[in-house]
Amino acid sequence: MNPVLPIVIPMLAALLLPMAQRAHAIAGRWFGIAATAVNVLIAIGLWTSVSNQGPLTESVGGFIAPLGIMLRADLFAVLFVFAVSAMALLLWPRGENDRVREETLMLLLISGGCGMALSADLFNLYVFYELVAVASYGLITSRASGASYAAALRFLILSAAGSALALLGIAMVYSATGTLNLVQLAQLAPESLHGPLGMTAFTLMLLGFGVKAELFPLNTWVPEVYTAASARVSAYLAGIVSKLALIVVLRLVMTAYAHTDATSLLLVVGMITALSGELAALRATDLRRILSYSSIGQLGLAAMAFSIPGSLGVMAGTAVMLHHLVVKPALFLLAEQWQSSSDSSSMARLTGLASRSPWSAALFLLLALSLIGIPPLPGFWAKYLLISALLTEASVWQVLATGLVIVVTVVKTVYFMGIAQRLYQRDAEESSRLQWQSEVGLQQPFTPVAVLGGLVVLSVLLAAPLGDTLERLSTQTVEFSGVPAMRSASIVTSEGALP
Amino acid sequence: MNLLDALLLASLATTVIMFLYGNHPRVAWMSVGFYGVQLAVAALLGYQLSQTGGTQTLGITFTVMGNPLIWTMSGLGWFFAIITIGAALFSAWYAAGEWSKDQQSLRLFHGALALNVLAMIILLASGDLLSLFIGWELVSWASYLIMAQRGGAAAQAALRYIVYAMAGAMAILVAIVMLQQYAGSLQFDAVRSALVGAPDAFVWAVMLLFGAGFMVKMAMVPFHLWQAEAYSETPGPAAAFLGAISSRMGLFALLIVLVQLIGLERLMAMDVVFSFWDARTLWAWLAAITIVIPTYIALTQSDARLLLAWHGIGQGGYMLLGIMVASPMGVSGGLLHVFNYATNQAVLFLAVTAVLYRTGTTDLDRLGGLVTRMPLSFVAMLMGIIGLAGLPPMNGFVSKWLVYKSLIDNGMPLLFLAAAIGTLGTILSVYKLIHNTFLGQLRLEHQNIQEVPWSMSVPMLIVGALVFITGYMPGLALDMVSLAQHALGVASLNYTLGGVQTEHGGLNMLWVVSILIFSIGIGALVFFMGNRSVKVHQLDNYAGGHFLSADIRYHYSHNFYAGLMRVIGPWYRGSIVWLEAAVGSAVQFSSSVAHGLYRRVNAAIYLPAVLLLALMWMWL
Repeated sequence: MNPVLPIVIPMLAALLLPMAQRAHAIAGRWFGIAATAVNVLIAIGLWTSVSNQGPLTESVGGFIAPLGIMLRADLFAVLFVFAVSAMALLLWPRGENDRVREETLMLLLISGGCGMALSADLFNLYVFYELVAVASYGLITSRASGASYAAALRFLILSAAGSALALLGIAMVYSATGTLNLVQLAQLAPESLHGPLGMTAFTLMLLGFGVKAELFPLNTWVPEVYTAASARVSAYLAGIVSKLALIVVLRLVMTAYAHTDATSLLLVVGMITALSGELAALRATDLRRILSYSSIGQLGLAAMAFSIPGSLGVMAGTAVMLHHLVVKPALFLLAEQWQSSSDSSSMARLTGLASRSPWSAALFLLLALSLIGIPPLPGFWAKYLLISALLTEASVWQVLATGLVIVVTVVKTVYFMGIAQRLYQRDAEESSRLQWQSEVGLQQPFTPVAVLGGLVVLSVLLAAPLGDTLERLSTQTVEFSGVPAMRSASIVTSEGALP
Repeated sequence: MNLLDALLLASLATTVIMFLYGNHPRVAWMSVGFYGVQLAVAALLGYQLSQTGGTQTLGITFTVMGNPLIWTMSGLGWFFAIITIGAALFSAWYAAGEWSKDQQSLRLFHGALALNVLAMIILLASGDLLSLFIGWELVSWASYLIMAQRGGAAAQAALRYIVYAMAGAMAILVAIVMLQQYAGSLQFDAVRSALVGAPDAFVWAVMLLFGAGFMVKMAMVPFHLWQAEAYSETPGPAAAFLGAISSRMGLFALLIVLVQLIGLERLMAMDVVFSFWDARTLWAWLAAITIVIPTYIALTQSDARLLLAWHGIGQGGYMLLGIMVASPMGVSGGLLHVFNYATNQAVLFLAVTAVLYRTGTTDLDRLGGLVTRMPLSFVAMLMGIIGLAGLPPMNGFVSKWLVYKSLIDNGMPLLFLAAAIGTLGTILSVYKLIHNTFLGQLRLEHQNIQEVPWSMSVPMLIVGALVFITGYMPGLALDMVSLAQHALGVASLNYTLGGVQTEHGGLNMLWVVSILIFSIGIGALVFFMGNRSVKVHQLDNYAGGHFLSADIRYHYSHNFYAGLMRVIGPWYRGSIVWLEAAVGSAVQFSSSVAHGLYRRVNAAIYLPAVLLLALMWMWL
């Protein structure tokens, strides 16, 4: 199966959607969903072929690197192709204002996201990254409220600054090596990139791509945007888009910057991100804001994991990301569900909610406990892998990082259990205020939450096979990059990359 | 299906049934039967373990990420498990009848209790470090559930607990990961043999990390602040359960790590730098500090539940102290104290709950003279306090005697002194407890109260009888202890039904108690056969030479031990409270800073600053 398909199909669908809508209303309604569903099927097909035959490489149009566009589907990339498409299906926009526009943007976002996952080329990564960025600006404003415009504008400004930095970094890499293909970069890096110039380029790219990856310091848009945008968009941005940006960083660290100081910069940035995010969540007073800050914290943890060289780091980071990808969107949707019927979004509204909607409160508790990392919930395994990865080398920074994981977990416990206690509070005077609330019920918004919650429960039972898959996946991800460093010539020529 | 499978299945079934139907009064009564079934299965399991001398492995195992998860119950786990189930049985019995009438959610109460038992059995049956951690977390969160069920202040206290517990659990997880990477496995055998050759620094790191985590649950100083408040806010019978056994899970896990994995000999060989101490002495002194400080904090409490909860913290110290002596007698004493203390604390909490049920308060300044109204509760509490203080003829005497004797035999006079100071404090404060509650003059508002109903007094008195019987015949409890001791790999103590025999003398409680009863009998004989006696009414007495009329009720309870407090009062510094508050406010402050950081409008200013810093770092 061709790895170009998951990029091309949604992009074509995005272009054709307005026409389809004009031609036939019902066709227009199902067009985008159908394209996304096809994408999911393609992802599954890619997964089976990749796991049987190993990574697929595709030079688009037959042009070979450094001129051609290289795509590479390893298990890691295919996993994210699947996640991008499947989550889009689950969080399909509800068309609050302009359905066609939102769906078009969503399809563009899927196309860009799949492109980011599959690209083996720094420039393409940048192009797809920008595509994703533009689509997200549009989606954030889909609510058409003042706050969402303000948030989108702020995001736009920060994102533009970040993109400029990233582009500058990419240009520096190109000037130093003459190629942007990641496999070739991995080969050329030791002589040409492991100096001040290369490190500067990495710093610029890390901070630049860090805008979307919610990494410090360009992540101040996060709480604003996730609170102002509609819950589905926030869930998608927090769940998927932020991870895609982190993948870019991972690819960089695994290829061009393996075995350099770059990893320690990533570790420190991750640590600051995780600590500041979780601490800010402790102080926040609005549920969706808390969830946004907690999302920053989780991505910081993932970045810390990716800074560990070798497959253990990739495995831990992937586990953290996958877990967050399932849990956080569900929490965002629950938060919106609880707060949508009131103007005020203050926490006081949540008091005693469990007596009115016991199922959604129980689900919230389950997801929160998983985020904290209580065995046997999947969050525990992610945390276990993270600590395992951090303790492989007992350097000062990694010991510090391990301590930080402890602190962050305790802080997370405080605020999540604070919310849980509020939900389960039984107070006579408070319950009179709850007249407006009712059980969330099995209406449409609850379905994705139930699906995601079901996934969490399922992963408890499937912990063993999931762990095996994760191990295979991370070994393959490391090979993508680690191999050229050791057995460079044979691999690269077999892929037809070098003349 | 083997007996361990059956035990876990019975416990699981109890939990599910209680969460589904616990609100029904009849189901609450049935829970007593369920715990009876569990107790019977556990007893059979104990018989089987004592016959085969081995362990029992659960039929189900998992393998996750290369780590096999195994559940195996040895004599040690069984010893703690049978106390757990027994405590749950009496708590459920006490809670099943009239007590439950004014409760908000019985389903939550009984469900949480059953869940605690289930989680504890899972923990006690853990066969490797990963299953130990899973059990540990289950126990922590199950306790959180049972503590927080009342909401309000209880929820706050429970939150404080879970914060400590999570910090501890993360420390444990780090230690487990370190061992996994060092030994390549989490099986106890593999870890044990890997630790033999490990450098001291590594063993220290692992031990301190594990220790910090387990000390939280045991509420050892300096991680003890959460416990008293959390237990005292828990509904009475559940508090009796928690007080009796919950903290002992920390002791169990600590024994696994210190005795089974690291080994006592290794502890004695690991020196503390810049001192004459080794790791064993360090633990023994931590235990001694845990005896003294919380016991004297208990002395200043004016609420009966808080007083008992603070004592619970202190008594945990005796157990660890005895085990750290590392002689067969010390280990027996420490383990026997687990059982004895569980019975003492259970009966005391149940008696205090009885008082609370009738009077509505446990404030020691607002009670008094209840002996005329609630004589059965008085008897129960009397048995409990004699046991807790460690005086004959109750069981607490035997275990403390063993610990003291082993301390002296092994040349640890200073630790003995600390333990004795702790016992002195215990005697003082349990006297304060019974005096302020039951002695003195009855308050006017308690004129019309009655003894608690049979559903509450019978379980209370049975536990009280257990306190006496195992004091009279300690061999009954020592049977169970020797099973645990065998599993720990410590030589058994030479014991009889009445006590112990050693070359430097022994203890025979059959004799001690018989003589005690005999002399009390002689006293009674003199009393009844002698001159005619005058019966004095409770209100008919004097204070300082002043006659008090019946309309002024006089009971000296507030600021009890004022004279003593004038002497030792300045020693109470509250340093650890201060430390906790300091850490808390530091976190609050930094969270304000972080929050402020994200709320800045012109956040792009960070960009050049961070860029510059990062570039500087990369270049230098």
